[in-house]
Amino acid sequence: MDRVVAWASRLVFVFLYLPIAALIVYSLNASDVNYRWEGVSLRWYAELFADRMLLETLRTSLIVGLLAALLATALGFLSSMALVRFRVKGRGAFLGAILIPLIVPEIVLGVSLLTVFSTVGVPAGFLTLVLGHTVITLPLATLVQMGAMSSLDPSLPDAAADLGAGAFTTFRRVTFPLLRPAILAAFLLSFATSFGNIVISTFTSGVGTTTLPLRIYSQLKTGLTPELNALGTLLVVLTLAIILIVGVGQLRRILAGGPDQT
Amino acid sequence: MTETPAPVAVRLRGITKTFGSNTVVRPLDLDIRDGEFFSILGPSGCGKTTLMRMITGFESPTDGSVELAGRDVSKVPTRDRDLNMLFQSYALFPHLSVYENVAFELRVRRTPKAELDTRVREALELVRLADFGDRKPNELSGGQRQRVALARAVVGRPAVVLLDEPLGALDQKLRKEMQFELKRMQREVGITFIYVTHDQEEALTMSDRIAVMSEGRVLQVASPIDIYDAPASRFVAGFIGSCNLIPARLEAGRAVTSGAGAIPADTAEAATRGLADGAEVVVAVRPERVTLHADPAAAPAGAVRGVISARVFLGDEWTVHVDAQGLTLTVQVPSGETGAALAALADGAEVAVSWTTAAGRILPAVDQTSGDAAGATATVTAGPTSEGAAA
Ligand SMILES: Nc1ncnc2c1ncn2[C@@H]1O[C@H](COP(=O)(O)OP(=O)(O)OP(=O)(O)O)[C@@H](O)[C@H]1O
Ligand SMILES: [Mg+2]
Repeated sequence: MDRVVAWASRLVFVFLYLPIAALIVYSLNASDVNYRWEGVSLRWYAELFADRMLLETLRTSLIVGLLAALLATALGFLSSMALVRFRVKGRGAFLGAILIPLIVPEIVLGVSLLTVFSTVGVPAGFLTLVLGHTVITLPLATLVQMGAMSSLDPSLPDAAADLGAGAFTTFRRVTFPLLRPAILAAFLLSFATSFGNIVISTFTSGVGTTTLPLRIYSQLKTGLTPELNALGTLLVVLTLAIILIVGVGQLRRILAGGPDQT
Repeated sequence: MTETPAPVAVRLRGITKTFGSNTVVRPLDLDIRDGEFFSILGPSGCGKTTLMRMITGFESPTDGSVELAGRDVSKVPTRDRDLNMLFQSYALFPHLSVYENVAFELRVRRTPKAELDTRVREALELVRLADFGDRKPNELSGGQRQRVALARAVVGRPAVVLLDEPLGALDQKLRKEMQFELKRMQREVGITFIYVTHDQEEALTMSDRIAVMSEGRVLQVASPIDIYDAPASRFVAGFIGSCNLIPARLEAGRAVTSGAGAIPADTAEAATRGLADGAEVVVAVRPERVTLHADPAAAPAGAVRGVISARVFLGDEWTVHVDAQGLTLTVQVPSGETGAALAALADGAEVAVSWTTAAGRILPAVDQTSGDAAGATATVTAGPTSEGAAA
């Protein structure tokens, strides 16, 4: 029985990581097509960095992701602060409203965003893209930060005030350091959500603001080029680098959203 | 030499707190002297924490004023009040080391480095944690955290430290130790301590003076001995320690019960408090001041006869319930000779109980509210609060 379980878990591992391994291997393939192996080469990396169009969409995705994540994290911080710290009237309803985008199918959100933007007369473009992505990342950013905030001892700010700290000092020396992991987690999750999003981008992007996922998706019709393997590999390497820099233990704590104890 | 009373550290005048329609603290006056260990004692929910939060400034009074060292601070924010609070949850900053926790106030107030270091070390020494500066709060035991919180509260040398049930989370043994320690430290630093507790034993052992609270009112302010021996009301007598509360009527300078006739009671002293003939009263008698006579025939005059209805052996003493002509009296009998004689008796055996006149303190049958600045005429009925007699 134990053997079976051990083998099963190994299989799951293979299943999880085989695609990534394949991606890396094939990014070094000299062939024009994915299914034929013609030896090692860095050809696709060269083509990737020469592909202005693709790099342009990557840039759009990064900027939109950063801005949406920033906005969502900031808004999420403020609303979770209000919900946790103060006895706001209609707290339950408010919380429900914030979480709705998590439940409503994205396609519905996309349609409604489009309707709103065209009614108000905002042309589809960078602004609508960022706003759309903020809407879908806000619930997550709020939830993560709210969890951390409600696990904070509510007498800590009182204690700081008692020891002579004003509102700003209390924030800088007590609240912020304790919530930093959760804030970072909210930011990273929001960024990841935005970066990979297709549906909302479909509805909100305009001419010249195509995101990377949209571009890749549209290439499906003409066939994927191995240069995407190179791009994927670079993103995987980047992610690994972040994990190494932040530290694995730290990252686990961040994603768990607990208070910083280090 | 004229005796000047100690200056007042905290003065409350007509202070009131209402949450919505719920009045949690009734208008009350209180003077807490400089350097004293002052306890606020009362059952859960009587408004102790709320009163304390008004002194610290976390809560603003609905009405009335707070004075610190003669200055009205009603409008002054918490951080500018010369006092610190010790929270029940300790409220240590989890991301800071013990040293930085203690240093927090000095850093905020921009104390020069050298002085800061000296004072933090002094404070840590005071609470005997000199070697723990580098630890994080989560690497400490409950008792140690408690001491860090205390060091943090006194390091800025405030005039007053408020402690809200600081020992609530500790086990029995540690509690006893910390009671001792707290008292020692308070004497050492000479800071006024305002100590909130619902544990009467804690209040009795540690305080210079105790204020007994009930339902948002202060019923009595006195030294532990006076609170125990000379309670001013039924509620106080029943809340502090256990007490027999025997209903009686004052007639011709004696306290007369309906069943057992006249019983020993200090009517002369009661008269000085305006309790004269005709008044409905209760006679409060502490169980340890009642003497049990195994042989009723040998009992002194004035003893009340009865039968033993129940006994509990507690090691150092017996608690005995005696049914005496319609009254149930609780008697404490020390182990040893009397205890041995008692053990030989059967339940239902005839005995007699007696106490001295001085041990029978006469109290009004119905509590009057006291310390009520608004002069409200409402009365508080303490109900069957006596743990002894009710048992
Ligand atoms: N912020 C608040 N809003 C509404 N009611 C409150 C608030 N704070 C306290 N109360 C009420 O005031 C009453 C007294 O509360 P308080 O905390 O002062 O009691 P306490 O004597 O400290 O009790 P305990 O011994 O249980 O700590 C309680 O009935 C409580 O429900
Ligand atoms: Mg309380």
